[in-house]
Amino acid sequence: MTGGRRAVNLEARGEPFLWGMGGALSLGVLMILGFVLLIVWNGLITFYPKPLRVVHLKDGTRLAGEPTRAETYKPPAQRLESLSPEERDRMRERGGLAHRTLYRIGNYDFYNEDFRWVSDYQVERWEAPREMVFVERVEWGPFVGVVQALTLGDTTLTGEAALGERLHAAQAQAARRRARIRRIERGEIGAINHRMEKSRLTLRGVALKAGEDSAAYRQALARGEAQAAELDAAYARLAAEAAALKSEDARYTITLADINGREKVQALSEIVRIYPANALNLFQRMGVYASRWWEFLSAEPREANTEGGVLPAIFGTFVMTLLMALAVAPFGVMAALYLREYARQGRLVSAVRICVNNLAGVPSIVYGVFGLGFFAYIVGAGIDRIFYPERLPNPTFGTGGLLWASLTLALLTVPVVIVATEEALAAVPQSLREGSLACGASKWQTIKYIVLPKALPGIMTGLILAMARGAGEVAPLMLVGVVKLAPELPIDAYFPFLHLERSFMHLGFHIFDVGFQSRNSEAGKPMVFVTTLLLITLVVLLNATAIFIRNRLKRKYYVGHF
Amino acid sequence: MKDTPSPATSQLPPADAPPAAAAGGPAARRPREKRARRTVLLADRIADRVITVGGILVIVAVLGILVFLVTETLPLFRSGQMTGERRYTLPEPAGQTLGLGLDEYKTLAYALSADGRLQVFHARSGRLLTSGRLDLGSAPVTAQAHTIDRTQWAFGFADGTVRFADARFETTILSPQDLPTGLTPLGDGDATDGHAVFSAIPGDQYRQVTFRMELEAPVAVGDAQRAIAAMAYTASGQAERSVRTLATVDGDDRVALIQTASRTNLMTGERRTTVNRIQLPPLPAPIEVFGVRLTAKADTLLVADRSGAVFRYNLTDLQHPVLAESARVMPPRARLTAFDFLLGSRSLLVAGSNGALALYFLLERNDFRTVDGQSLVQARTFTAGGTAVHFFAPSLRDKSFATIDGTGRLEVRHGTSRKQLADFPTGLPLEGFRELVLAPRVDGVMALQADGRVVFYEFDVPHPETTFATLFQKVWYEGYAEPGYTWQSSAATDDYEAKLSLVPLIFGSFKAAFYSMLFAVPIAILGAVYTSEFVHRRLRGVIKPTMEMMASLPSVVLGFVAALVLAPVVETWIAAVLLAFVGLPLALMLGAYLWQLLPLHLANRLKGIPKFALMLLSVLLAAWATRALGPFFEELFFHGDFRAWLNGDVGGAAPFLFLLLLPLCALAVSILQQRFLAGLRQRPAGGLEALPRALGELGLWLLRAALTFLLAAGLAHLLAALGADARGGLVGTYVQRNTLVVGFAMGFAVIPIIYTIAEDALNAVPEHLRAASLGCGATLWQTALYVVLPTAASGVFSAVMIGMGRAVGETMIVVMAAGNTPILDWNIFNGLRALSATIAVELPEAVKDGTLYRVLFLAGLVLFAMTFVINTVAEIVRQRFRRRATQL
Repeated sequence: MTGGRRAVNLEARGEPFLWGMGGALSLGVLMILGFVLLIVWNGLITFYPKPLRVVHLKDGTRLAGEPTRAETYKPPAQRLESLSPEERDRMRERGGLAHRTLYRIGNYDFYNEDFRWVSDYQVERWEAPREMVFVERVEWGPFVGVVQALTLGDTTLTGEAALGERLHAAQAQAARRRARIRRIERGEIGAINHRMEKSRLTLRGVALKAGEDSAAYRQALARGEAQAAELDAAYARLAAEAAALKSEDARYTITLADINGREKVQALSEIVRIYPANALNLFQRMGVYASRWWEFLSAEPREANTEGGVLPAIFGTFVMTLLMALAVAPFGVMAALYLREYARQGRLVSAVRICVNNLAGVPSIVYGVFGLGFFAYIVGAGIDRIFYPERLPNPTFGTGGLLWASLTLALLTVPVVIVATEEALAAVPQSLREGSLACGASKWQTIKYIVLPKALPGIMTGLILAMARGAGEVAPLMLVGVVKLAPELPIDAYFPFLHLERSFMHLGFHIFDVGFQSRNSEAGKPMVFVTTLLLITLVVLLNATAIFIRNRLKRKYYVGHF
Repeated sequence: MKDTPSPATSQLPPADAPPAAAAGGPAARRPREKRARRTVLLADRIADRVITVGGILVIVAVLGILVFLVTETLPLFRSGQMTGERRYTLPEPAGQTLGLGLDEYKTLAYALSADGRLQVFHARSGRLLTSGRLDLGSAPVTAQAHTIDRTQWAFGFADGTVRFADARFETTILSPQDLPTGLTPLGDGDATDGHAVFSAIPGDQYRQVTFRMELEAPVAVGDAQRAIAAMAYTASGQAERSVRTLATVDGDDRVALIQTASRTNLMTGERRTTVNRIQLPPLPAPIEVFGVRLTAKADTLLVADRSGAVFRYNLTDLQHPVLAESARVMPPRARLTAFDFLLGSRSLLVAGSNGALALYFLLERNDFRTVDGQSLVQARTFTAGGTAVHFFAPSLRDKSFATIDGTGRLEVRHGTSRKQLADFPTGLPLEGFRELVLAPRVDGVMALQADGRVVFYEFDVPHPETTFATLFQKVWYEGYAEPGYTWQSSAATDDYEAKLSLVPLIFGSFKAAFYSMLFAVPIAILGAVYTSEFVHRRLRGVIKPTMEMMASLPSVVLGFVAALVLAPVVETWIAAVLLAFVGLPLALMLGAYLWQLLPLHLANRLKGIPKFALMLLSVLLAAWATRALGPFFEELFFHGDFRAWLNGDVGGAAPFLFLLLLPLCALAVSILQQRFLAGLRQRPAGGLEALPRALGELGLWLLRAALTFLLAAGLAHLLAALGADARGGLVGTYVQRNTLVVGFAMGFAVIPIIYTIAEDALNAVPEHLRAASLGCGATLWQTALYVVLPTAASGVFSAVMIGMGRAVGETMIVVMAAGNTPILDWNIFNGLRALSATIAVELPEAVKDGTLYRVLFLAGLVLFAMTFVINTVAEIVRQRFRRRATQL
């Protein structure tokens, strides 16, 4: 072809078409790369402490905050008119576009907003003073300002002394006190409440069963009253202890001031973290970064889920996915075994197979509808009537909950498992089965010792892929039991320990909730990115495990058997 | 199946049995059994049963979803069922009846006669509880009116006075210990103490219902000599400060509006009533008044003549009331037989002696010729039984109403769905009927005859407002200018009617799917072909699993990114995004023609990963260029403000038409070239060197591009001159969360699916076909186009279908990024509301077994059916493809 003697038929090479196709593929690849980069980058930088800026605006006001992001935008026409002529010219040069930065100004209790856009043309100058601190609080979001004084019991420190080691030690102590108060209020008083509620329900149950005139009821009543007295005493003791701790706690405060000098006295125990953002070295920054990640992974959410951690959501996702896998594995495998090994292959079975295949493509929300209507409202209401009459009309199982969510997702993923298992079973050579049968093994023995082990990698892959799908589904869960804030974890120290009827939190729903339902979606956005990163990591990990197990088991069984 | 911890596991006996048996001899002391062990057989049988039963059960359970959805939705389409029929006679004949009432729980009823006799009786048994007499004074009652809930009555007298009355059922819930003793049972679980009725209700409680009626002192509202001929009455305000509006027509056809405002002094308890009388403009001609009706807000008054003329007063401005319209609601010679508002007093029901029964709306439209721009418009007619309808009782809950026709048949219909809810032939003569009342919960209807006979039917209609037509066809709702498809499931007001048309939702689902497929299919299919046919094996080993991994990306993540990251970016850079649709293909084509300039040996050496990298680079360059050129493009095409252009504020239609026409023109130009100018390329057979030919191709392409642009510009201006404009159709008002964003995000969700399945199909094309084609001298491109693609076409098609099925049912992306506005338009810059999103958002709030609940189940069923059909088609096509591919 290099000679050029033969006609170079460029048309036959179809280069433009090749570039069209290659372009499509590269666009797809770029989109994926961009998406992954966006999530990973935003997820990773969220917790990194950013420097604080004090911005002096041209109108003479000042603001302090953490620059979160910047963008180019087109200012509305009436805004343009308020500018000076040279600024207008400059903007016209840039195509009518202006640049602006979003500052997280915090101090919601003062300003009623968390964020503020500042356009470049508004700015006179900015600086980064070293004494500015970023304070994360239990309530009202962050505070940006300076530390005026630190009150530790009877001593009051000001100036440099208020920062530094003393502050950290005092804050750590306050955090321990807060944890102790919380343990009393949530844990120990919660236990008392739990026992009271249980005793009330027992009484009601007896009343429903034996009637209020019976001896059994009177007996139960007396027992209940005795127990109530005992619990009341314990409650009073704990409440007193908590009150004492709280009054002790109130003596440790910090006085903060915002950029305009407005002061705020804050109890030390209400401070999660405090750091001078502009005076940190790399090592300290990494410390803050790590401690924020740890809080995210190990704490409960605060501030309508936009701050704090996602432990309950991680936990809920995990337990639900596990329960789903427990439900889906035996049934999926059984159905596939039936279809492939037991049913007579014919038109009917292939029709059923098409149906099952299709069910994998039925929208997940349809399963959610079924789960709500059938599991929660019919099965659950029936369970309530038979086993929990004393709690009615409050539903126990008759509403969305962990069990129904898991079963709904199991139903959603069972076609995936059936299809995967069937494919794995079909891939086991017929000769193996025939060999086993010829040796005199029964059909079940053949399946158990020959077919299933051989098909196991495929089955495991299907199962793990189903778990990956289940872990990422949100739509059906919105109908069958996921909530934005679950008061209790589905597992706790009270019998029967695993509470299948409770509603739960879920990482996917957390993303939806924080991104769309919260007071300020801007404040929640960094959190959403981190949660997204976590969820995607989980799903990718599950997928990768599927691939890993598939490869490993394949090798093992190839060697081990033949 | 795990229930066989078989001892059989330890032995696998049949496997080693034969050698042992063959050995025989002394070693085999104990004689080997040749039969299988019983445990093995048992395990086998158990496994057999368990797997068969379990397997079938699982499959049945999964398929049972469909059955369950169907059973949940079927009640929507059921008509009413009679649950009870009672007939009894009240001890005293009713005579001229003023009123009849029934409480919410169908326990108590009362009948008031013109002479003031009030009989309160148990509705189910007819047993008289109390009987009394209201002192109506000496003047005879000549007119009566009541509010729609029949709690407030007004009686007009021959002496021109009016008396207001308050009739109320009072309900209290009692616990068993509060129940009075010595009750007389009434049957049906009810009992009475001679005054109130006590019914047992769930939760071990009792409900006590009592009735009381209080008559106020007469108020003079007109001339003492003029009897009031007809009245209408509405009341508003609280008990302490009530405003009552009364419209009267007296014997001389004079129409007046009377407002009485009562204030109770909180200190003294004294009640002061002020009466304000407004004389309305006179009627154009003397009439034989049939009825008067006031709307609930007292802003419209209707006076009906027996001949079917309706005079409408507009009372919005009470200082200047106007007679706004005289409309005929009956054909000539027909007489009006019934006339009243439905709940909400915006639909007027009229019936005539010719058997007509029709519903009128008061609408405001620009083309009406009336004084106030409003007019009564006939919205729908009902098929009556042929005889005239005479009595009419509206429901308190919805748009249902009950009627009695000429043969004495009692019917209950729904005003919007036109569903017949009940049909009871009473067998009683029409002339005897005096009053008709519909139970407040639309589950019973009671009629009273002059001789005291009462018929009381109980029935049960779970969902009166839904029929197939209201769900899937155009419905004219009150307050709307014309029939349409509307989804609006809830609102703040009580008399609000839920509008549940599934059409906008189905449309929304398909709109989202359509635009996302428009984006996803080219990228996924072209990418799949390129991966399977042209890409280096190593690269493919990376790209394919990555794509597969993306398929399991949670859609909530995509929805979040689309709504909170992509939507604002697209909004800011909308011009650049539009430009990218032109710029990207142009850049790639340019890349291709420049690549052709490379000497062949170099091109061959670089054709693997470097070429792909170049493609990536050109895509990136194109993206950068469009971003940079975006503002300029916006200035040039859309007067610098795309959103203003979309709203029609600036600019003409041509620029966007030009963009739309570009691909069509490009196609046309290349076809024209193939047809007529093919010789231009092939003539110098073998004469030219590679480089000049490539340069020639480049020139030709530039020429073609220029031609395309010119053609498109010309056509666009021509079309624009002819009045075509994409605004209002494909494009229109811009909202931030729009279909374009959904298209991107959902496209992103389905690309991996389509890509993977299509790539598998292309890969399944047997290698020997490719080898043969290449061996014949075809290029890779020719092989791909003429051999591989046609063979794999059905597989690729099924990939598209499966992607489509996923897009139709995708939930989180549309919930988050689509704006959720249930409208029917193709505007890509507007939002949409999909079936799936509606279910996800509204089902958690829907009352169990309510209409919305069941309609949402139906939405789920529709979604199920749609995706099931799409997937089945895809699956059948795919199986056929597989069979063919293995045969090749």
